[in-house]
Amino acid sequence: MKLENPRALLSSRILDLLTIAVVAAFLFPYLFMVSSAFKTRLDTFAYPPVFWNFTPTLEHFENIFSDMNILFYMKNSTIIAVFSTLLTILISIPATYSFARYRFRYKEGVAYGFLFLQMVPGISIVFALFFIAGSLNLSDTHIFLIVVYLLWNVPYAIWMMRGFVEGIPVELEESAMVDGASRFKAFRLITLPLMAGGIAATAILIFIGVWNEFSVAFFLTSTEARTMPTTIAFFMTHSGIKWGPMFATATIGTLPVVIFALLVRRYFISALTFGAVKG
Amino acid sequence: MTTVRQPRRRRPPWLAPALLIVPAFLVVFALAAYSAVWLLQLSMVKLTFGDPFRTAEWAGLENYNWLLFNEFTTFWASLRVTAVYVVGTLVPELLIGFLIALLLNRKMRGNSVFTAALIIPMVLMPSMVGMVGRLYFSPYGLINYFIESLTGVRHNWYGADLALWAAVLVDIWEWTPFFILILLAGLQTLPVEPFEAARVDGASRLQSFVHLTLPLMLPLIMTALILRLMDVLRLFDVIFVMFGGGPGTSTTTLPLYIYRTTLIQRDVGRGSAASVMLIIIIVSLTVLLIKLRDRIRYEA
Repeated sequence: MKLENPRALLSSRILDLLTIAVVAAFLFPYLFMVSSAFKTRLDTFAYPPVFWNFTPTLEHFENIFSDMNILFYMKNSTIIAVFSTLLTILISIPATYSFARYRFRYKEGVAYGFLFLQMVPGISIVFALFFIAGSLNLSDTHIFLIVVYLLWNVPYAIWMMRGFVEGIPVELEESAMVDGASRFKAFRLITLPLMAGGIAATAILIFIGVWNEFSVAFFLTSTEARTMPTTIAFFMTHSGIKWGPMFATATIGTLPVVIFALLVRRYFISALTFGAVKG
Repeated sequence: MTTVRQPRRRRPPWLAPALLIVPAFLVVFALAAYSAVWLLQLSMVKLTFGDPFRTAEWAGLENYNWLLFNEFTTFWASLRVTAVYVVGTLVPELLIGFLIALLLNRKMRGNSVFTAALIIPMVLMPSMVGMVGRLYFSPYGLINYFIESLTGVRHNWYGADLALWAAVLVDIWEWTPFFILILLAGLQTLPVEPFEAARVDGASRLQSFVHLTLPLMLPLIMTALILRLMDVLRLFDVIFVMFGGGPGTSTTTLPLYIYRTTLIQRDVGRGSAASVMLIIIIVSLTVLLIKLRDRIRYEA
């Protein structure tokens, strides 16, 4: 480290503190939410708010597991998110390879076509989907949500993964093909293992998206296929909002997502920009 | 003269790439086309939500006509709320995000911890964020506690004049990190040479920021704004959970308008027509802005 004059050192320390303060400010509402899941009703409504000196309680967690059957909704969310993600990846890998490795007419046009369909707001077609589900006898089923989510997930996966494939030198595949491998074999043995990290990251990000999705799931499910995010309606009762169980559900529902997100944080900037910006 | 024989009959060159795209294409475009046909059909009928589809009466373009031109239409009011919400979220998010990105763009220990922390607001379940926001903005909630400690007054965030701004603040909390992370990635990949040249020429820090950093970052800023605009225009969950479009129509952005028209007023026709308008608005704005960005990028 090079020697700096005291004034520069001081201003750099001030900037460090400022940075920490800013980051803490973004983290604070989340931490306060998690802590509220362990507070009694009295502590939740205390004014001024109670930040740390309260006796933690697990009553809300017991409540949501025994009375509200939260496991059932977690199971629904898991089934829908896992299968929709797997189907998405399966369908998207060949298309991704095609966009990344071949040259053909209207390529960018088709790619943008996918992107524009990705932009269609869930709320704008959810009531049409409601009628479609009714006409197909698929109302309130897992399979309908799994398939419907493909509309947004497949374009997203193609745009995300295309960047990963394009980042792998095509010469690697070509040299394998010179050695007699078929194009498919070259892809399977060379490119696929190299893009495994990218595929995993894409899958996790899609899982997060489906796990969190509200607008479509809320109007297309009622009892059988109801997902975690849509359980908020249960906390609004005639005797007021059940805040404790709500905080407990929010804490449990966001925990896997936060862990997953931190696992793939290296890919996060690509994820936010459809692969347009590398982190 | 001998003709050179092809070693074997070649497949047309477009066949392989086309076949690889077919599954994705079929799934996505079939879903989209099926939904589009239903949506357009629903937007041209008179139908009460809850009644079977066979009771629908053909209405042609009457629903669109009502939304756009009827003297009692609330569509334009909702468009105004949407515009306020879009500008109210995107402008502060960009400005604050850029400032914090500049702050984080220094060599400092723990930078990866900070970026990890900034990811969290963006990945939380929006419906839960909305519920939590509702409590934080309640009369004796967290937000009023901080405001009262600083200024001595509490605000009624549930009232018609502040509700939209409470939703705006929640969005700023959730999505300013989006700008921070993207712009930070951009700042870290800026070319070094022009800045050194400017320093040699005696340019001040402010000058090189205005004449180098800003123009070089402009395409990225545009990209970030376009992506956020798409998302803000279709945002439904947080506002729905916090306020449901109310009180009155103060938080009825276009997505909330679609919900209220279809489910509360039970007018499927007008709700679907409004849905079509939302899609048209989002797609046309995005195409326009992508063209604008590419022109800027070209000139840069």
